[in-house]
Amino acid sequence: MSEKSVQARGICKSYKSLFGSAKTVLEGISLDIDREEIFGLLGPNGSGKTTLISIFSTLIYPEKGSLSILGLNARRDRGEIRKIINISTAKPNFPWSLTVRENLVHYGMLYGLYGLGLNRTVEDQIDAFELGEYRDVKFENLSTGLKQRLSLAKAMLNHPRLLFLDEPTTGLDPDMSAKTHDLIRRIHDEEGISVIMSTHYMPEAELLCDRIAFLRKGEVAALDTPQNLKNHLELGKRVKIAYRGLANLDALRALEGVLAVRGNPGMVDGQIDRKVARPVDGQLDGQVDKQLEILMDSNEDSLDRILKSFQDAKILDINIEEPDLEDVFLELAR
Amino acid sequence: MNWQGELNKYLASTYKNWVISKRNVFTLFELFFWPLVNLLSIGLLTRFLMVDESMVSFLLVGSIALTILQVAQMDVAYVLLFDMWSKSIKNTFIAPIHSRHLIFGSLFFGIMRGSVVFAILASISFYLFDFRFQAGGLIPPLIFLAGVFSMAAIIGITVCISILTFGQKADVAAWSLSGLILLFSGIYYPVDVLPFFLQVLARAIPLTYFLEYYRSIFIPGPHHLAVGLSLAALYLLLGLILFDRAIRRARRTGILLWLSE
Repeated sequence: MSEKSVQARGICKSYKSLFGSAKTVLEGISLDIDREEIFGLLGPNGSGKTTLISIFSTLIYPEKGSLSILGLNARRDRGEIRKIINISTAKPNFPWSLTVRENLVHYGMLYGLYGLGLNRTVEDQIDAFELGEYRDVKFENLSTGLKQRLSLAKAMLNHPRLLFLDEPTTGLDPDMSAKTHDLIRRIHDEEGISVIMSTHYMPEAELLCDRIAFLRKGEVAALDTPQNLKNHLELGKRVKIAYRGLANLDALRALEGVLAVRGNPGMVDGQIDRKVARPVDGQLDGQVDKQLEILMDSNEDSLDRILKSFQDAKILDINIEEPDLEDVFLELAR
Repeated sequence: MNWQGELNKYLASTYKNWVISKRNVFTLFELFFWPLVNLLSIGLLTRFLMVDESMVSFLLVGSIALTILQVAQMDVAYVLLFDMWSKSIKNTFIAPIHSRHLIFGSLFFGIMRGSVVFAILASISFYLFDFRFQAGGLIPPLIFLAGVFSMAAIIGITVCISILTFGQKADVAAWSLSGLILLFSGIYYPVDVLPFFLQVLARAIPLTYFLEYYRSIFIPGPHHLAVGLSLAALYLLLGLILFDRAIRRARRTGILLWLSE
């Protein structure tokens, strides 16, 4: 049996105000996370991702439930667990007036590093996360991307066996996000570090995570590989059609196997955005090229029925896509 | 872990406070400006009132004690205040450390800064007001300083507990507590002049006894140094226990998360 990085049973957490009212954040979370996987926690804002990661990393304590981290009891062996885990948080914050190097030295000291070992580890992380140019720059003067890299470098100071990443690419531009993804993959693949990450970026989860737990209102709404999640939810396929001519939208919507019809771009709550495609008496004006996005079920006859409904139009382009994790997210978050 | 790694867990807070302090222009005000203003005000007041030499010593001991207390207690409180202000408290408490690492590491820096301030103030007092801090030998000022620093640690721990219990609002405690000590522990007057119930309170503050002890070198009189030492040790121990409990409570309530957001 594979070693578990996390074994959680019935984890509950609520936050109480000073005057006694309580807000439940987690309700009976149970998870088994394997040592060798990159595990993703997904969910809408307020679903409990950060709280769950904070509990797993022993920063805060659960109210109920049992928790084992890397085989250690999270209640009894917290000190030992903290030596072999680390965390990089969303919106990383460090003492403002300390430079990149000083911050790493400070946190290295908190982890009991000393002497040449401390210096070597700090320099290694500066090199690994390409922070050499910024080593003497104060934290307050770093860009968001550099702050995130510093946070990751700090999280690697103690050579953790388990790394928690709380929304590691929040606020980063696409280029920096891609670099961060590479870093996470490298940390996991080359250094053999278990990674548990929270994110609300679906492509990121799909790209990096071996398995995903969807949290909704403090509960695990779904747990599986990204592919299985898409398969099991039977979300259907997305057909994008560019055409010129007339298409009867009402008839299209009424077709068997058609789940939704959207203008593209500019679909608003399942309705055609009139700025994009302007219907005339239930039909689209035939003078301009138009695009529609049709969500259909997996039945092979559905596509045939859809195409027949465009008999009065000229189809310019057609593209059929499998559902992505974003669709899964929207489905589960309902 | 070996002793060097353990030592560095303590020195981490010393290092952080040192780096932040050396970049903060207000450090100069904390170390030089306000202490000098305070000392010169009191010293010149003694000249104006034409008090005798023993009374000059009485007042200058109070002035020096208050200044060192404020400097050192802030250094202990800074260990969490800096983290709270920069919203990085989460990173500190995810590390494998105990409350003692934070308190004693920052207290060590407070002792260094307090010692520098003491050296400056004692020198200036000697040249301007003929106050000889080593009149009874070197042991009395060292015991006196140890008492002031232990009191600073107790106040600093109280502020840290307040931060973890009440969050951002605890800033106020950091700036106010030494003021209360000024009122109740006889910094500028003997505690006998206080109303009876405040005298009881004064007798519960270790600094009262350390002031009486050091002043007894200049104005011979009774003192109860052993009581002061015992109270300081008791409060320090109690403070560390309560700080540990405050950390556990902050982990239970989630305030550690809120302080980082």
